[in-house]
Amino acid sequence: MSQTDVRTPEDLRAAEERLAAARERLKKVIRRSVYVYRIDCGGCNGCEIEIYAAFSPLFDPERLGIKIVATPRHADILVYTGPMTRPMRLPALRAYRAAPDPKIVVAYGACGCSGGIFHDSYGVWGGTQSLFPVDVFIPGCPPTPAATVYGMALALDLLHQKIRGETHTEEGTPAQVAPRYPEVSPALAVRIDREARRLCGYREGRRIARQYLEFVREGDPLAVDRKVKELVKAARDPRLAEVYLTLHQIYMNAGAPGGAEAAEGRS
Amino acid sequence: MLKLLRKVVQTGQVTLPYPFAPVEVAPDFRGKPVYDFSRCLGCSACARACPPQAITVEWSGQQGVATWSINYGRCIFCGRCEEVCPTGAIRLSEEFELAAARAEDLVVRAELQMTRCSGCGEAFAPGRELEYVQASLQAVRGTVGPVLAERLRLCPRCRRGAAARSRRAGLPGGGGSR
Repeated sequence: MSQTDVRTPEDLRAAEERLAAARERLKKVIRRSVYVYRIDCGGCNGCEIEIYAAFSPLFDPERLGIKIVATPRHADILVYTGPMTRPMRLPALRAYRAAPDPKIVVAYGACGCSGGIFHDSYGVWGGTQSLFPVDVFIPGCPPTPAATVYGMALALDLLHQKIRGETHTEEGTPAQVAPRYPEVSPALAVRIDREARRLCGYREGRRIARQYLEFVREGDPLAVDRKVKELVKAARDPRLAEVYLTLHQIYMNAGAPGGAEAAEGRS
Repeated sequence: MLKLLRKVVQTGQVTLPYPFAPVEVAPDFRGKPVYDFSRCLGCSACARACPPQAITVEWSGQQGVATWSINYGRCIFCGRCEEVCPTGAIRLSEEFELAAARAEDLVVRAELQMTRCSGCGEAFAPGRELEYVQASLQAVRGTVGPVLAERLRLCPRCRRGAAARSRRAGLPGGGGSR
């Protein structure tokens, strides 16, 4: 962990003032487009691909007055991507020194913000923050082109920041957490949920399991049977029908409402 | 030249009005993981699954507080936390506008009270998790006996000791946690 990760309120205020001053000078003194230079400090190139996607005609940040340049000597914004690796820290510092003041430093991507998935790797010094103060963080792995445009607009004070730090404490919230599928036996719910996820992945599987268990929760076994048959008949995708029938098989084998105990006994 | 102009007219404008109008994201887009504190058990499944350790849970047995935290600046938006969460407390939203001027704004923290072991007095599990386990057992078995209810309030170490003692004494509840 870098020493800059823990910052005092004075440091924060100084950083905010510096960013505000840089923005003012960019707007008032320079009176032209801002130039962006990006430095890859050892990332996987995913961030570079997304930066160039962001500068494609689809998003076209040049209409906001943001251009990419080939040298830090022309740059107003420095975009650091990738974790700060040991061999790249000197080139990163050289680029920082070469860029004329006022400049805005942007940490781009999960690696640039904090070291990302490589944060505890050997030869990685952490995020961009481990070398010099960062003005704007753009998280993402990689950030989408839209997130890139948003981050650049935030750096230039065109848009407002949306995300805020939060701290939750347990006072005032109910201590009891409701189960994911209320009013269904947990043993049956787990079996249905697991099978659905095994068959079609966690996200789609959860959606299907939730719908199936909604039937179980509402009605008696006959009603469940009828509803599932209707659903299978209406399903355009034969795979979906197959998944519903498989889940229904589990429910029927478990022996309808009292089936939870039977399921528990077997597993 | 005319060919090019015709092409331009045919294609029309492709640039999105993005920063000034919302942009559409793909279905099942993996954006900001939104945390619902009222559904969190503090079970640490997400922290174990998180590849870059963006989610961490720090337990302090002495103070009796488990601190859950996520750092969006380290998150790789893989969705493992959503996959393993037993209650659906964390869910990937379609929110992607996460840029921030301060690293502190990228962190969400939550403090969960832990239950103290009725044997040795050390805090060993979040209270919500124990309540949830007890409610699940109640739903599956119909009833939770006094032995089991007592064992739930013991830390793993004390529970092993209690099981061994009751087995030696030939009491019910020996030979396993049931």
